[in-house]
Amino acid sequence: MSNEISVSEIPVSQGKIGAVMVVGAGVGGIQAALDAAAAGFKVYLVDKGPAIGGKMAQLDKTFPTNDCSMCILSPKFIECASNPNISIITNTHVESLEGKAGNFQVHLYEEPRYVDEEKCTGCGTCAEYCPIYVPDVYNESLAKKKCIHVHFPQAVPAVSMVDAAHCLFLQRKICQICVPTCKSKAIDFKMQPKRTTVEVGSVILAPGYEIFDAYSQSQYGYHRFSNVVTSLEFERIISASGPNGGEILRPSDNRTPHKIAWIQCVGSRDETSNCTYCSAVCCMYATKQVILSKEHHPEIEAVVLHNDIRAYGKGFERFYERAKNMPGVRYQWAKTSIVGEDPDSKNIILRYRTDDSKVKDEQFDLVVLSVGLNSTEGNRELAEKLSIGLNEHGFCESPAFSPMETSRDGIYSCGVFHAPMDIPDAVTMASGAASLASQLLCEERGTLMEEKVYPEERDTTGEAPRVGIFVCDCGTNIAKVVDVPQVVEYAKGLPGVSHSVEETFACSVDAVNHMAETIRKQGLNRVVVAACTPRTHEPVFQAALREAGLNPFLFQFANIREQCSFVHMNEKEVATEKAKDLIRMATSKAVLLQPLHRAIYNVTPEALVIGGGIAGMTSSLALANQGIKVHLIEKTDSLGGLSKRIPVTLEGADVQNMVKKLVDEVYASDLIEISTNAQLVEYSGYVGNFISGIRVGNGEALKEIKHGITIVAAGAEELKPNEYLYGEDDRVITLLELDERIEKDSSQVKECDSAVFIQCVGSRNDERQYCSRVCCSHSVKNALQLKKLKPEMDVYVLYRDMRTYGFKEDYYKEASDQGVVFIRYQPEDPPDIHAVKEKGKSFLRLTATEPILGQRLEIDADLVCLATASVAPTGNKPLSQMLKVPLNEDGFFLEAHMKLRPVDFSTDGIFMCGTAHSPKFIDESIAQAQAAASKALAVLTRTSIEGQAAVAEVNEELCSGCRVCEMACPYDAVKKDEEKRVSVVNQALCKGCGTCVAACPSGAMKGKHFTMDQILAEIRAAFAA
Amino acid sequence: VETVAPFKEAIEMIREAGGEMFRKCFQCGLCTASCPWNNVKTFMPHKKITESKFGLVELGEEDWWLCSTCNMCVSRCPRGVAITDVIRAVRNITLDSVPRAVPASLKNAIGSLKISGNPWSGAREDRANWARDLAIPPVGAETQTLYFSCCTPAFDPKMGNIARATARILKETGANFGIIGAKESCCGESVRKAGNFEVFEKLAKSNIDAFHESGVKEIVVTSPHCYSTFKSEYPALGGEFNVVHLVQYLSRLADEGKLNFKKPFPKKVVYHDPCYLGRHNGIYDEPRSILKNIPGLTLMDEMNTRENSLCCGGGGARIWMETKKGERFSDTLVEQALELGAEVLVTACPYCILNFKDSVLTLGKEDVLDVRDISEIVDEVI
Repeated sequence: MSNEISVSEIPVSQGKIGAVMVVGAGVGGIQAALDAAAAGFKVYLVDKGPAIGGKMAQLDKTFPTNDCSMCILSPKFIECASNPNISIITNTHVESLEGKAGNFQVHLYEEPRYVDEEKCTGCGTCAEYCPIYVPDVYNESLAKKKCIHVHFPQAVPAVSMVDAAHCLFLQRKICQICVPTCKSKAIDFKMQPKRTTVEVGSVILAPGYEIFDAYSQSQYGYHRFSNVVTSLEFERIISASGPNGGEILRPSDNRTPHKIAWIQCVGSRDETSNCTYCSAVCCMYATKQVILSKEHHPEIEAVVLHNDIRAYGKGFERFYERAKNMPGVRYQWAKTSIVGEDPDSKNIILRYRTDDSKVKDEQFDLVVLSVGLNSTEGNRELAEKLSIGLNEHGFCESPAFSPMETSRDGIYSCGVFHAPMDIPDAVTMASGAASLASQLLCEERGTLMEEKVYPEERDTTGEAPRVGIFVCDCGTNIAKVVDVPQVVEYAKGLPGVSHSVEETFACSVDAVNHMAETIRKQGLNRVVVAACTPRTHEPVFQAALREAGLNPFLFQFANIREQCSFVHMNEKEVATEKAKDLIRMATSKAVLLQPLHRAIYNVTPEALVIGGGIAGMTSSLALANQGIKVHLIEKTDSLGGLSKRIPVTLEGADVQNMVKKLVDEVYASDLIEISTNAQLVEYSGYVGNFISGIRVGNGEALKEIKHGITIVAAGAEELKPNEYLYGEDDRVITLLELDERIEKDSSQVKECDSAVFIQCVGSRNDERQYCSRVCCSHSVKNALQLKKLKPEMDVYVLYRDMRTYGFKEDYYKEASDQGVVFIRYQPEDPPDIHAVKEKGKSFLRLTATEPILGQRLEIDADLVCLATASVAPTGNKPLSQMLKVPLNEDGFFLEAHMKLRPVDFSTDGIFMCGTAHSPKFIDESIAQAQAAASKALAVLTRTSIEGQAAVAEVNEELCSGCRVCEMACPYDAVKKDEEKRVSVVNQALCKGCGTCVAACPSGAMKGKHFTMDQILAEIRAAFAA
Repeated sequence: VETVAPFKEAIEMIREAGGEMFRKCFQCGLCTASCPWNNVKTFMPHKKITESKFGLVELGEEDWWLCSTCNMCVSRCPRGVAITDVIRAVRNITLDSVPRAVPASLKNAIGSLKISGNPWSGAREDRANWARDLAIPPVGAETQTLYFSCCTPAFDPKMGNIARATARILKETGANFGIIGAKESCCGESVRKAGNFEVFEKLAKSNIDAFHESGVKEIVVTSPHCYSTFKSEYPALGGEFNVVHLVQYLSRLADEGKLNFKKPFPKKVVYHDPCYLGRHNGIYDEPRSILKNIPGLTLMDEMNTRENSLCCGGGGARIWMETKKGERFSDTLVEQALELGAEVLVTACPYCILNFKDSVLTLGKEDVLDVRDISEIVDEVI
């Protein structure tokens, strides 16, 4: 026998493969890729477009914080691009897939870009010479760009591409002007489509959506009137990186519109467009656009013509209230028809009904269509190729209570491919999907990983300062206010500066690489970047220093955007002078910077999960499935939380069965140690090494637990109201009480002839300025149950806005079809309730103003069900104080970032999930629980973690042991060493905030990276102009 | 503010009369924003639906008779509410319980339908008078294709040419067809929309019987109203026929290369989409492609076309009722056609033609704008 094995006999890898493919590189795909890589897997991030970023990269700002979309997203681009374990594969789609969970062969098809990604620097010279203009797809075709171009300035990969459909050479074999202009010889018209096969253990689908095609419905006049635009076009119109540089100009005449209307539900909640579901995000993005328009031009009149306003997410209701109360903003509850266009002004005439029963024609300079989110033809094809089930609306189907699972094992989904949702929900699901992939491939963790190796650090001791200054235009965000070339010139003359240069986008991959190269070539030993904010971008530039062999702390930021161009928008000269001041200050500090190093800590690979509801149990199991020891503590005597009171979901899934299975699994796990009647009473330590004291029952002795991370899943409660006769009349009950009543004894419910639901009891008021998210759907569920139990029962729902978002809209419609009557009331004119006895009958008489009739309706009911608020448990406050994590104004735990870090706290190593974060549905809690597990796992699977470098340091000579610092420290990081009688800083806990430095009466505390001489140098420089 | 209670008996009556769709409404008001009446005065369908939902309707109100069933609201309603069904149901109840609230002209038309099977007070035996000199055989086993002219061309002298032109076209193009004559009745579309289901059923059944008796398999129609009724309502009453509107017939011939225009029609022509051909039945392209192929003819579109076309005002039994000056949709359409510089306003519905002819006359524009049925133009050039 020969020792050779013929090729056909080489088996494809047997067993599981420690790699994950993510299909679709929008914000969801990016997050899934980052999480899967952090969990120890090789990741292939595949997108059919030329760059990663998806729709989020096209957005201007994001609700409800109005963070700049690109500013929070581009650091993630850099994270992906610089992660050696993430391969970004663009212009590529999945052709087919074979294999099974743990071992898939994915066949990819890559369209040629006609530019070699390895060689291209994205310098843009080719585009300067290209003679052909094509519609700029990134700008929704509102502008033109060259046929060879970089997709958008911050694009990753930051390389050019050729628009094959318009290229003169590819179409007609003429031109090729671009080829010789490329110094890197990257342009290659011989490139052919490429087929490759990749072996992965799991696939995460995040292919996203497309916006509703407004052309398809002629009534909106999108095809006829130039001043009717889609909301995505408006994002580009209003964006600083858009075709007008952030000036709001309307298409017909490039003038600033004075009156703008938003038409809601275009292609959503609409049978005529075959999109009966609610697109879940349009109410909020329109509200955001209203606020941004007002910020651009306070005199703009903004009118939102809407159906129910669905401000159901965390912080949304306040955001909506803010917009509604701005002068010149009107929210009008009416769908509208477009009457026509004024032939002279090109203004659009809209017709709608008013609240006082009139019909009004009103002219607007610009009309924005709030278009819905649709599945795509590509998604349908993908699903077919992968044998993945889609629902009737073309979105990914998932089994009950497993939102990230698809109909095929080992393939998971997240983001809008699953259902219309906003960014934080997509990011949460993405992390959740990565968690499932990680559980599936647990034993293969790390097998295909590569370490990111930086060159050895150069010793700069004794060198004279050679400062490099990089001044960023931030597209036009800075450059349209600050005279950047002037500032660059000025910086060249500052002491210690040996290099000063302007960058269009200093954070682009190309610019960052170039920065590293410059540092090396010029022998720089200090770097100042004058750009946006260190909050998001410091790590990006520090990585460039490390790449160049410099200690990352030899870096100083000058924020000339938030602290300069944004706040001095209309004072260009002053802003330019201030930018110079800021750079001078930063440089004076930079020359004094010293290299710092991070301390290394071990990790206790165990988890503490607080709260034994669905979220807590799901997180616990996710971790235990991956060999992590979990301590699960529950304050009541049993697991299950609030869900024990919910028999079924709106969609009809059996909650009790699921909870029972979950509890059984948790109890069956050897790795989960459950403590019921348990409470956290002591908490100390830092990420990787926490120590908790648990009190079980009334026991005196505390159980001590050492753990590396903490997950807060403390849940929420149903409000017991003190209005609408609740507690006085037993015919008035809450939704959960109705659930119990239907479940236990439906005969009692069947005796009722008439039932009334009252929505928003205790929500959306002055005391609780938030929407409880679940109650509208809960009432719809119960209303449908009542109709099923007794079809002839009169069922009324008194509501403010029905917030049955996403596919839950179908159930709202179903309830209407079944004859449930929905009556809208105003908060200033709430329903009235009286117990009445008449003609020997006893009932509850409700009256409420019917807004269309303008009359008060009187309804006699046997049962009144209050849709009461979901409220944060009172225990959240002491818990938050103990964990030193923040709560929001409503008592729910506050995440590190509303949009992109929905399960993290600012404190490392502590995560949250479920209703502890905000009211939400079971599926959403499960997704978030998986996401929290994903974040936790990334810590717990590391052998060690790095601490902060810029920490406080005690000069023992000067310290008198007075303990002022200890009292001042918000992180419990300073303790007095009783033996030495001096203070000691726990470097793992210290965040470098400097409070102790300021507080110390002896000058014994030093803040590394913020030393006295560095700060004084900055102050001196500030006044040295 | 007045306090009222839902009136359950009324809700039940509307439901039984076929108006149950009010349930689906989520009060967005798009119907009101879309209704053409709001071009001339305030009319709020969404309020009518809400009133129906709570049984709080005012049966004597004139508003219930305004709807021309143009289907604009229905075609746009995001909840799929057949608003016109609810209005029809309330009309039905009104006819029974508050007859004094029913417009007098409508009562006359219904009376004529009951007596002679047409709404125009014509004698039943005169129904085929228009065809006297055309030698059209009665439909029978050999022909199987019936040309159904609609009562309006049959009994209105200024409309007769439409039927004659159509018959000539059918002959010229070699169709094997016939007519029925006195045994034929009104299709019943408008009386059904007026809420009189009883008269409708009588008319429909008598037609179905007559058609069956003559062995009719296929019906070619002039009126989109007849088209809609034969197609959508007759099958439930036992009348399954292949229904073809003239524009469909012609466009099919054109597709087969069998439609040749011998003469030019060198005029600027604006085409009006009849509601029952367009929004109700989705037939938009056929008439346009026919007109476009006529030599010399310049085809223009109205300001609002296809799905967004403005109703002439004649549907929903409005053709029998008086519409005040200043409130006539057909006046608006004629004015728009004149503004466009059109010489001919062409359409494919007898009700539209009737209204346009009236408008042209009352606006004093009969010398400037010619109103034609598409059959009349084809007849001239074929």
